[in-house]
Amino acid sequence: MPYKTIIFEKKEKVVWLSLNRPRIGNTINLEMANELVDACLAIKEDDEVRVVVVTGTGKVFCSGFDIAELRSVAADNLKQMNPASLSSNAVAGLDCPVIAAINGDALGAGLELALSCDIRICSQNAHFGFPETSYGIIPSGGGTQRLPRIVGRGKAAEMIITAEPIDAAEAYRVGLVSRVVPKQKLREESEKIAGKLISRAPIAVRYAKEAVNKGLDMTLPQGLRLEADLSFLLQTTKDRAEGIQAFLEKRKAQFKGE
Amino acid sequence: MNAFETIIYEKKEGIAYITLNRPRALNAVNIRMRDELYEVLPALDDDPQVMIGIIKGAGDKGFSAGADITEFGTAPSQAIARQVRWERDLWGQFMGVSKPLIAAIHGFALGAGIEMAMCCDIRIASDDARFGLPEVGIGMIPTAGGSQTMPRLVWPGMCIANILTGETIGAVEAMRIGLIHRVVKRADLMSAAEGMAKLIMSRGQLAVRYAKQAINRGLDLSLEQGLEVEGELFALLLSTVGAGATTYPRK
Repeated sequence: MPYKTIIFEKKEKVVWLSLNRPRIGNTINLEMANELVDACLAIKEDDEVRVVVVTGTGKVFCSGFDIAELRSVAADNLKQMNPASLSSNAVAGLDCPVIAAINGDALGAGLELALSCDIRICSQNAHFGFPETSYGIIPSGGGTQRLPRIVGRGKAAEMIITAEPIDAAEAYRVGLVSRVVPKQKLREESEKIAGKLISRAPIAVRYAKEAVNKGLDMTLPQGLRLEADLSFLLQTTKDRAEGIQAFLEKRKAQFKGE
Repeated sequence: MNAFETIIYEKKEGIAYITLNRPRALNAVNIRMRDELYEVLPALDDDPQVMIGIIKGAGDKGFSAGADITEFGTAPSQAIARQVRWERDLWGQFMGVSKPLIAAIHGFALGAGIEMAMCCDIRIASDDARFGLPEVGIGMIPTAGGSQTMPRLVWPGMCIANILTGETIGAVEAMRIGLIHRVVKRADLMSAAEGMAKLIMSRGQLAVRYAKQAINRGLDLSLEQGLEVEGELFALLLSTVGAGATTYPRK
């Protein structure tokens, strides 16, 4: 893959996307944001890909976006040229499950990228925060919307308004990450979760993600209808027949994504 | 009173007990059980002698292992399955019960089992309880409301991890993420549930029901609309109490 700022590795059914500007904290510039957009499009078109892992090379996950670049951008164009929103929306738009393997600090647009993933695990050294208000701006890659939907309003407001970072233990306590592991174990742990996701029925996994994420934007009765309709649609898949057959025969199901 | 085959319905001192009673099938929810629950819930809600409901599972092994898979695929078509789902909307009816419901959970609470518990207001579990939504492992998604109720109860981040991996979690982790309210020893499960029931019964009963309604309706509304609902219910409550209605249980 001809990427300059990210590494795109496909290992069987898993794509690893590594932010790769380690000397400048993997900050997201426009080039990196566009490469992430492109990579996510490629992932969507590739039926073999079942899980995506987003991580960073070097010591940090991602310390934010390149604000210097934005100074020359006219306000009208900011929506199309904001690396924070471009990158996080690209990842949030993936319909397969996405794991954030947070190898170090995730700040600003870096945290927003992690919030766009479905499952977040981090190494013990990681810190999380939105420093934006200390620079006179606000999070612009979905942070003000996604953080309260993940950790609740109370903690989100505190983090965003104070701009104070939290450590890995606190992130675990408030539900921002589901697991904290030693740094050298992060890759192995991510592979383990990816392996588990791959063993499940792929269409069901995608529909489950859709039901949870879209359902949270609806009233409960609307969400229940979405869940039911997706479930009736799943009844038409070969994987569902195989899943039940395998359960009744007490063997491991062989899903084909059909 | 008990004309049911798959559940036991009992009443004692203001508490209605619904016991899922297919212990040999780990209390799996079959069509018969769905029909019986559909019948018993409005009876519980309408009965002036009942102030609160406790739902539990019979037998040693658990609360409920979920939907009865042996009945899967028995509907003549998906269109008919869909029609039946909404003709008798059991889960909607569960969430529509105006009185508080407590789930007393031991052992396995999987799939429709934990989903049923998530339709209740309070969940108390014994320390041996295991929770999970394993549906994606058999090519399904939760269909008793779990993909909607769970993210509204626990941190959504945790919820999606659990639903997507289909892994089970223990009682301590379930309490940590907010899925259950209390963990007790197996031997203390029913006394803990009854203690909670008695505490709630000591409050104004209409107030308890209106509070439940305000929270549940409010979560589907904008803050402004939710505050309006709260204000209306408060005014209604005040006028009812003022009119001499007994909102407190008789001593």
